[in-house]
Amino acid sequence: MEIIEKIKTNKSIDNQTEIQKICLDKLQSSPLPNPRSEQWRLSNKSKLSNFLDYSVNENNSKFDIPYPKNSQTTLRLIIGENCQIKLIEKNYSIQQLSEDELQKYIKEQISCFNQNENWSDLLNLSLSCKNNILGLKINGSKIPPIEIFSYSSSNSLNAKTLIIFLEKNCNVELLQVNLGEDTSSLSQSTFFCLEENSSLNHGVVSYGVNKSNLLNSLNVIQKKNSEYNLGSLHFKFNYARFEIRIKQSEGNAKTNIKGMQITKKDEQISTYTKIDFDGPNGFLDQINKSLADDKSHAIFEGSIIVPKIAQKTDASQLSRNLLLSNRAQIDTKPQLEIIADDVKCKHGATISQLNEEELFYMRTRGITLTEASKLQLSSYFQEIISFIPVSKDRWDLLDKLLNEN
Amino acid sequence: MGNENLVQDVVKEPYKYGFVTDIETEKIAKGLNEDIIRLISQKKEEPKYLLDFRLKAFKKWQKMEEPDWAGLGYKKIDYQDIIYYSAPKQKEKISSLDEVDPKLLETFDKLGIPLTEQKKLTNVAVDAVFDSVSIATTFREELAEHGVIFCSISEAVKNHADLIEKYLGTVVPASDNYFAALNSAVFSDGSFVYIPKGVACPMDLSSYFRINSGDSGQFERTLIIAEESSSVSYLEGCTAPMFDTNTLHAAVVELIALDDASIKYSTVQNWYAGDEEGVGGIFNFVTKRGKCLGKRSKISWSQVETGSAITWKYPSCLLLGEESVGEFYSVALTNNLQQADTGTKMIHIGPKTKSTIVSKGISAGNSKNSYRGLVKMGTKATGSRNYSQCDSMLIGDQASANTFPYIKSQQPNSEIEHEASTCRISEDQLFYLQSRGIEFEEAVSMMVSGFCRDVFNQLPMEFAAEADKLLALKLEGSVG
Repeated sequence: MEIIEKIKTNKSIDNQTEIQKICLDKLQSSPLPNPRSEQWRLSNKSKLSNFLDYSVNENNSKFDIPYPKNSQTTLRLIIGENCQIKLIEKNYSIQQLSEDELQKYIKEQISCFNQNENWSDLLNLSLSCKNNILGLKINGSKIPPIEIFSYSSSNSLNAKTLIIFLEKNCNVELLQVNLGEDTSSLSQSTFFCLEENSSLNHGVVSYGVNKSNLLNSLNVIQKKNSEYNLGSLHFKFNYARFEIRIKQSEGNAKTNIKGMQITKKDEQISTYTKIDFDGPNGFLDQINKSLADDKSHAIFEGSIIVPKIAQKTDASQLSRNLLLSNRAQIDTKPQLEIIADDVKCKHGATISQLNEEELFYMRTRGITLTEASKLQLSSYFQEIISFIPVSKDRWDLLDKLLNEN
Repeated sequence: MGNENLVQDVVKEPYKYGFVTDIETEKIAKGLNEDIIRLISQKKEEPKYLLDFRLKAFKKWQKMEEPDWAGLGYKKIDYQDIIYYSAPKQKEKISSLDEVDPKLLETFDKLGIPLTEQKKLTNVAVDAVFDSVSIATTFREELAEHGVIFCSISEAVKNHADLIEKYLGTVVPASDNYFAALNSAVFSDGSFVYIPKGVACPMDLSSYFRINSGDSGQFERTLIIAEESSSVSYLEGCTAPMFDTNTLHAAVVELIALDDASIKYSTVQNWYAGDEEGVGGIFNFVTKRGKCLGKRSKISWSQVETGSAITWKYPSCLLLGEESVGEFYSVALTNNLQQADTGTKMIHIGPKTKSTIVSKGISAGNSKNSYRGLVKMGTKATGSRNYSQCDSMLIGDQASANTFPYIKSQQPNSEIEHEASTCRISEDQLFYLQSRGIEFEEAVSMMVSGFCRDVFNQLPMEFAAEADKLLALKLEGSVG
């Protein structure tokens, strides 16, 4: 593990920024997460070390966005390329965060990091150079849809960081696309801060090619009356880990999450979510779907934390899983930790295969088994895909999922 | 808000089994080492293989670390400060109950456990364990007529060595976990049940565990073997006196069900829970596991957990036999500073196996009540099914209710369903019942009882009454 050796000897990066230095210091004593901790016990160790086995790439090679932009109104940003952004229109403004604002915010975040839980963020921030950190402040109304790309180039580890402040009363649609090239690792950390009355429709689409690895960490802080909707999709990664941490810091906020991960061959993709309700009247509706085929392994662990202050919380979490091969494996662990008594909290989990009766019915109507399975899968996928905002049609996600491989 | 305080008052009920029996006991020195283990073994006149089993377990235990993953906060246990063997002094061998010390009989009478023959109307055979030894087993002749063996495990070691040697430690190996290893090294007594082929046990069997000394731990071991096509219902009850120190109870229960056999194991656990400040109480660290070895075998656990300062207990089923069935029904009530981390493990290994989990947790006061369960479908468990339901009820805003289900599947042709919910006794519901002329206290009782119905329905008659009484006791009392 080249990276870890370098972290240990503190030789990974020349010209360290202050943030990098703080994070490296934190990592130095125990550079790897504790493999016995709840968050990491199911993580495939050899795949994780494979993730870390590349050298860090700070320079961004030319990147071609796989789909042409066909709408004039969509704003496209590539982390690492668009250095200067300043859009001040009549109704809205999108500006880059100043160096001070960035530093202050990141330092605040780091101060509440936990070595195991935020290991992905610590690694990201210690490797992410100035160029690869994109910080934005969005204000106003009628904001055009935004697409933000992160990608990793072959034979290297790439760290990209995205920080977005949503000012009061603004609504944004944002699609984040993480693309992994062949034999590469991408460490993506994202931080959102949603001010009062703001709302964000967030889509995350991540896919790789052979032997791509991804550590994707998402941290959201929601102030009062904010609404955060997340639709996410992860597939085609040798090893991928999607960590979602959402904090409703003042209560009275709404969160909707619909996520899906699809594993094939010997891939391992996992989703970890932690939702903290730090105030009353919070709302959460979450569904996570997994599909595991061949020899792959899909993992979901979700925790909902409702302390005494979070009265009248209404939270539900559902984990639905399809296991399609008898060499594949699914682990799921939805959990509730509740102290407030006046709450409505529930969770559910199912693991099964495709519904045989439905398949049989379709076959009696002359549909072949393959077609019938596809039909069932497409309805399974569609629920999630339809929740991903911005240009989802252009991305042919359903087609990609059903017909590739 | 007013109602909430009342509900809190209602759940406070003094512990009524907290008396100490003044009886001469034989205790060995405090501490744990190889010599102590040899001494226990010698006192029980055990054969060499059992001593070896104990010593091997002790070696393993020394290398193990006390588990802390359940996040139960308690003061570190000093294992050298515990007496590992304590027995009421009495004649070596008892031929009839008349020879049992009347003080002991009185103790069990006070607890409502009928040991004397005139009380046989209840038709339940009882094995009563006092501190480290079994003092009496009733109805032995009647059971022997059917070929059923029901005795203390020390007697079984002497009289049924073949069965003990064949089955002891096969379900819960000595190295299974920290407390099981400790138990395997120092276990003192417990019950042994053997149901021969084709016999449906004519009466319910029951063992009653009583801790009397404050400084001795209780380490009993229960082994139940149900041969082909046999069936048995086994009940277990526990109480302890009130001490301001914590007493360790680390038991191991092993069940084995062969083809078409069925074992129903019910527990009403009411160890002393400590006082309102959390001083004293039993640390109940128990390993219970059943092995459905045979085809169509069935093991059913039902438990009502109301006592103990800390409960750490996961009655589990290993479903090996084709079409075998595992069940777990649990009610756990915690109050004051009690902590309960309980649940089950259903390991589906054989094909067409089925399991059902119903868990109801009620937390009041400052207590912590967690459900922790594992459902695993192995690669060969084709056509298997699991259904789990975990409900929590919160009384007051200081108690916590947690749910940690671990679900793992490696078999596509199997189905797992899990659901959990959290609720409280709502003021609307209370108001409605009260507006219909039902007393407040009765309304709370009704709602709690309704919440637990699915589990109470599974308890055997004798226990259902006791469980209902126990919950009512904890819930009634101060009001009216």
